[in-house]
Amino acid sequence: MSQVQTLSPASAAERSRVMSTATSSALMLAPVLLLCGVFIFIPALLTVAGSFFSFGVTSPHWDFVGGANYARAATDPVFWTAMKNNIILVVGSVVLQVGLGTILAAILDRGIPTGSTFFRTIIFAPIVVSSVAVALIWLIIFDPNTGILNAIVKGMGLTPPPMGWLGDPNISIWMVLIVGTWQYTGFMMVMILAGLQAIPKELYEAAAFDGARGVKAFWYITLPGIRNVLAVAALVTTISGFKAFDLIFVLTQGGPANATQVLGTYIYFQAFKFNDMGYAYAISVVLLAVAVVLGSLQLKSNRRA
Amino acid sequence: MAAVGALVVPAQSTELKMWILSGNPGNAQFLTEAETEFQKTHPDFKLVLEQLPNESYKTQLPVALAGSAPPDVFFNWAGEYAARFAKEGQALDITELGAKPGGFKHSLSDAWQSSFELKGRNFGVPTDAVSKYFFYDKEFFAKNNLTPPTTFNGLVKLCKSIRQIDPSMVPWPLGNSERWIVNHVVTMLNERVLGNANTAADYDLSAPADQLFTNPGYVEAWQKLVDLQDAGCFQDAPNATSPEAADQMFLAQVSPMTFCGTWCAATFDKDGYTGYSLFRFPSIEGGKGDPAATFLVPQGYQIAAKSQHPELAAEWVSFLVSNEQAVNYAKLTAAVPSNAALIEQVGGTEQFNWFAKDIAQSTGSVMVLNVLLESAVSEAYLDAGVEVLNRTKTPQQAMDYIRGIALQSKARLGRN
Repeated sequence: MSQVQTLSPASAAERSRVMSTATSSALMLAPVLLLCGVFIFIPALLTVAGSFFSFGVTSPHWDFVGGANYARAATDPVFWTAMKNNIILVVGSVVLQVGLGTILAAILDRGIPTGSTFFRTIIFAPIVVSSVAVALIWLIIFDPNTGILNAIVKGMGLTPPPMGWLGDPNISIWMVLIVGTWQYTGFMMVMILAGLQAIPKELYEAAAFDGARGVKAFWYITLPGIRNVLAVAALVTTISGFKAFDLIFVLTQGGPANATQVLGTYIYFQAFKFNDMGYAYAISVVLLAVAVVLGSLQLKSNRRA
Repeated sequence: MAAVGALVVPAQSTELKMWILSGNPGNAQFLTEAETEFQKTHPDFKLVLEQLPNESYKTQLPVALAGSAPPDVFFNWAGEYAARFAKEGQALDITELGAKPGGFKHSLSDAWQSSFELKGRNFGVPTDAVSKYFFYDKEFFAKNNLTPPTTFNGLVKLCKSIRQIDPSMVPWPLGNSERWIVNHVVTMLNERVLGNANTAADYDLSAPADQLFTNPGYVEAWQKLVDLQDAGCFQDAPNATSPEAADQMFLAQVSPMTFCGTWCAATFDKDGYTGYSLFRFPSIEGGKGDPAATFLVPQGYQIAAKSQHPELAAEWVSFLVSNEQAVNYAKLTAAVPSNAALIEQVGGTEQFNWFAKDIAQSTGSVMVLNVLLESAVSEAYLDAGVEVLNRTKTPQQAMDYIRGIALQSKARLGRN
């Protein structure tokens, strides 16, 4: 018995409509896919391929070295310092920026008596300033000879005064974290505030009726209500932590003695200062892999939540 | 009719793009004036001058040379920096072009030409050499009966004396935020303790692996840096102070001395401060170095291999080191020119005359470590300077670290 199926006029029309939708979707996405291919996927593939070679910016030849660049990274203490610093920046930024952003947003959401817009603007302001300008401002603040920070410390009678804030390998990465927190907390605050304001007020009224106020209300109503916003904020901060470059480049150039080196700056220095593009490519691939894995894990946990 | 035809020069583009370091007073003015002079024989010539600050220059230049529109002529330091571009085919071999009539080979001594040579070929034209000296405030020294030291112990004593005069005064401001400042000091300490002959095999990584950077003199040199810090020579946070800030401390006469490049003379002169004099980096008691050896880094111009106008570029750089131009260069930049034929016509400041004479009389030259050493070893030395000053590494730990990196580099490069 033949299995020939005949389409009813209605299903044929439906199929045609679906086909037409798929075709038009593909056509509409094509330019973006093409751009992504040309500017993201092809360079990414070339980077992976280049990581197996030894060559410089101006080298006339590429020498195949297999996995030597990756093996070198595994035993390179500066690479691990950079990785550790990226992790410090990611964890520190998530805790400080998202944490402080949440606290500030909660304060503003509860309605401070006057000047809410003023405070919101002031706290948000650093994000609209370019990172280079932010770094230059903080360079002046941190200056060991004329900076206001040392003047304050001295004024507080603390002796001996601290060494240069950005010149001491033991503390410089924490100074970078502080500057980053100063710059981005306002952005987190605005994002979380939007989430807070989307929570229906009736929930708080009902909770209050049941005796849940203050911290309890925050814990059982506010936090679950902004869970998705917090997840996005954490994801954005994590990605920023791994992409860190401009602030560090201007503030410390990865120094002193590589103490503030992150993968981004290390890639730059390997490529353009030490003329070792193959190694820079290998570190870029590692950075890409870490970012993809972390991003996927975070998205997965968000979906599960 | 034929004679008239011979005078017609075929029309062609004669624009040259030139990259130089910014922040060298007088250099841009010299080049602009030289352009006007050069146009007398090359009416269509036009110079497109681009100035970049030190750190970005080092990173942007290789990218530009690898690109499709590199500068035709670019500044560079002699040594590893210049050799790298020659080895990679980015710098033009200008041996034949320089030998033409009016070429730089007729103006410069063989010794000067050798600074940009690789395997007997010329890959650049030296314009001058920079050196470093202690600049000191004559009035302050005279008022407090201080004299320029000739030995390391004398230098340590001088720092202590200045601190006794005024404990808040920084005797020798050290702006090491870019790391090369301390590297220059350690360069001289190594020479004074070990001598050039005892460091050569380590510096070019040709020493046997079991001997590479094992001479105890290296640790001793780092210890001398610590001794200077302990004597109160430097301020509290040298690693967080910029070189410019340190220069300003001397210029503002809040610090009585500084170890500065010969290029600093032009900066101080430009700001109207001439009340200073100079002294050499002191000898070290018991050291194997040559007290008359001078820190000396030749620098000059290279021509991009991709330049569309190699002959014109070679004529231009040769013109820059001609007798007359060298005199003007010395006048405007307070630099010691590679062509010293008419140096007596410069009529420079007292300080210029002093270091020009001192360089001429020096019995040896000391090449700075961050230019001389292989890049990874150079980085190790730069980082070690920061850590020793911060006391996060002892002199011995600093040398262990440098030796480790040097061994890796030696193995990677296959230097025997």
